[in-house]
Amino acid sequence: FKDDLSTSPQLFTPMSPYDVDLPIQTTEDVLFGSQFNQPKELPTDFSSVDLSFLPDITQDSKEENLSEAGHDMQKEFDGSISSRNEDSSIFVDESSLSYPDATRPSPEASGVCPPLTPMTPMTPVTPASESSGIVPQLQNIVSTVNLACKLDLKNIALHARNAEYNPKRFAAVIMRIREPRTTALIFSSGKMVCTGAKSEEQSRLAARKYARVVQKLGFPAKFLDFKIQNMVGSCDVRFPIRLEGLVLTHQQFSSYEPELFPGLIYRMVKPRIVLLIFVSGKVVLTGAKERSEIYEAFENIYPILKGFKKAS
Amino acid sequence: MAARGSCPGCGSTALVEDAHYAQQQLVCAACGCVLSEGLLTTTYAEEEHLREVAYSQSTGQKEQLSRCLQRGIRRVQDLCKVLQLPTVFEETAVSYFQRALQHPSFHLVSLEKKELLGGCCIFVTCRQHNWPLTMGTICSLLYVKQELFASVYLSLQKELGLSVPALSLGDLVKTHLNSFQLFQHAANVPAPFVEDKEKMVARTMQIVELASETWLVTGRHPIPIVTAAAFLSWQSLQPAARLTCTFARFCKLAGVDLPPPAHLRLKELLEILLRMASQLAWLRVFNMDKKTVVKHIGDLLQHRIFLLKNAFCLEDEEEQHAMTPGEGSPGSPPAAGGAAQEEGCPSEGKRQHEGRPRPLLPPCLINPRKRLRTAAPSASDSAITGDEPISDSEIEQYLRGPEEIRAFRKAKAWP
Repeated sequence: FKDDLSTSPQLFTPMSPYDVDLPIQTTEDVLFGSQFNQPKELPTDFSSVDLSFLPDITQDSKEENLSEAGHDMQKEFDGSISSRNEDSSIFVDESSLSYPDATRPSPEASGVCPPLTPMTPMTPVTPASESSGIVPQLQNIVSTVNLACKLDLKNIALHARNAEYNPKRFAAVIMRIREPRTTALIFSSGKMVCTGAKSEEQSRLAARKYARVVQKLGFPAKFLDFKIQNMVGSCDVRFPIRLEGLVLTHQQFSSYEPELFPGLIYRMVKPRIVLLIFVSGKVVLTGAKERSEIYEAFENIYPILKGFKKAS
Repeated sequence: MAARGSCPGCGSTALVEDAHYAQQQLVCAACGCVLSEGLLTTTYAEEEHLREVAYSQSTGQKEQLSRCLQRGIRRVQDLCKVLQLPTVFEETAVSYFQRALQHPSFHLVSLEKKELLGGCCIFVTCRQHNWPLTMGTICSLLYVKQELFASVYLSLQKELGLSVPALSLGDLVKTHLNSFQLFQHAANVPAPFVEDKEKMVARTMQIVELASETWLVTGRHPIPIVTAAAFLSWQSLQPAARLTCTFARFCKLAGVDLPPPAHLRLKELLEILLRMASQLAWLRVFNMDKKTVVKHIGDLLQHRIFLLKNAFCLEDEEEQHAMTPGEGSPGSPPAAGGAAQEEGCPSEGKRQHEGRPRPLLPPCLINPRKRLRTAAPSASDSAITGDEPISDSEIEQYLRGPEEIRAFRKAKAWP
């Protein structure tokens, strides 16, 4: 079931055929090994791999290299990269390298070390400006997944301890698990929304656990089209900000209505992130599909905010 | 069918509209005199009164607009008249309203929201011309809740891409004070409470500016601050007679609402003024409190620039104090920089006397509310890959056992 990447908005997650935890399936530990043991249909789109550490490589030449490399060797795929990379474009932006804790399944585990697999993230190279030194912390990740089977919500609510279902209020089962501490909305169509995770990987793990619960309840649930829909981060610049001044100088991006909301709403164009800036110096960033967008947005706003630090 | 008017020939009022072949004629039933024929009338057949028919009516211009749009435009025009806005505002607001209604996101909203939309357009127009209209006023005119107004306003701003300048505080002060009824003698207002408008406006502006400099305005609703500032300025202009009057009574006499946050704003303003008073040489001998400081507001405002510098440490000094612990005794200020502000910052000795001169920060940073800080992601959290194996026991803890299900079925009579 390979979707056509150019037309379908939902990214084909290459891990999905192996991800379904059917009772007969082997455990996930063997997943990566299995990829090498039985070379099944490997996705031919390698453009989600980050090769920007190679010298003198432009976007076009990267694509060339990738297509060549694809024929030569098996590549290890990080499901989390693909799930993050919605528009199959290569990360040329340097700020994308700043994944502080993007853990990926290490290639060494399976005994194969393809040289083109991205290594642990490097520090971003920003020669011109000094970085703020503050890293926004992710507070919430919202993701969706398709379980691809019709569900009987009453049945689920009866058989599951951690579910609540009130059809008069809302047409979905609200299920919660303790680890990772998340909440899921499960609809009768088989679609599910998972919220509350603090990282992309946690969100994926939580979504898989919910799918497992639904499976154990007797439904033939799959795990299709897992996608991160929204990421929320927050941080503190540690100095008060004159919001009235900021709205004057950045009028086209800012909306500051003290009668409505105490914070200033800043709609950044690139990356497309909405920031809530408060007088105490706390900043909330939301609307990101990738972690890098949050970091980039904060690095963009920090020098602007610093400009208002000394306003008397 | 009887028509109005009287026959010029016999004076009878029995006029009938009749048709001679296809031509309409107005004929007197008594004498048969034809009064008029071949009339080309509009739907408003008032020819005998010779009332001119408006172009928009005769050409059906109004009919081109939907009834909903017509009603909305009329409502916008009426609101502008109630608010006594200039005609330019009316035209701009109507054009925004028409643009907005054509936009797909507003085309199909409820009638209530469409009326709200009209109010939003007026609000945006006023703000763009720096006319100090508050949301509270518009909401009370439209009889809507402020949350609903807020959501429609924000989506209007986004969809039409309007840039709305910030509310001008100075203009707001003037407009808000206009509604106070303390500037003329009235039956319920005692004589010593009546005040000169110009003086009160000027002093209120100064206090509001002071509040703005000391971080009391940013992020807060402006009206409570203006109300509190008006109260302080009114009291300070004749303290002897007015110190006994409470805030609530003042608002009742003035005929304005007392918004709940205004009490807190008043407290914050008084705290700022007290700190400033502690730096004024001839006031240091007195033991100032919230009541007595009001008498000296005039002096404090006059010297506010100097007093603010002295009463509050700017953050830089705080950091430098912290970073240079070895430099001299606590009693002497650090010699780094030599900026003028440094001399103003009181030394440690003084601090013990009147409590630390606090840094000039917004109140939310001075009194941070104790909040559960979410722990930073631990190492084990960040090691999650998302593809870990999920044990069966972990999942089974979330499933009900058969006895439990039976019990539930019995209890809830599960269908």
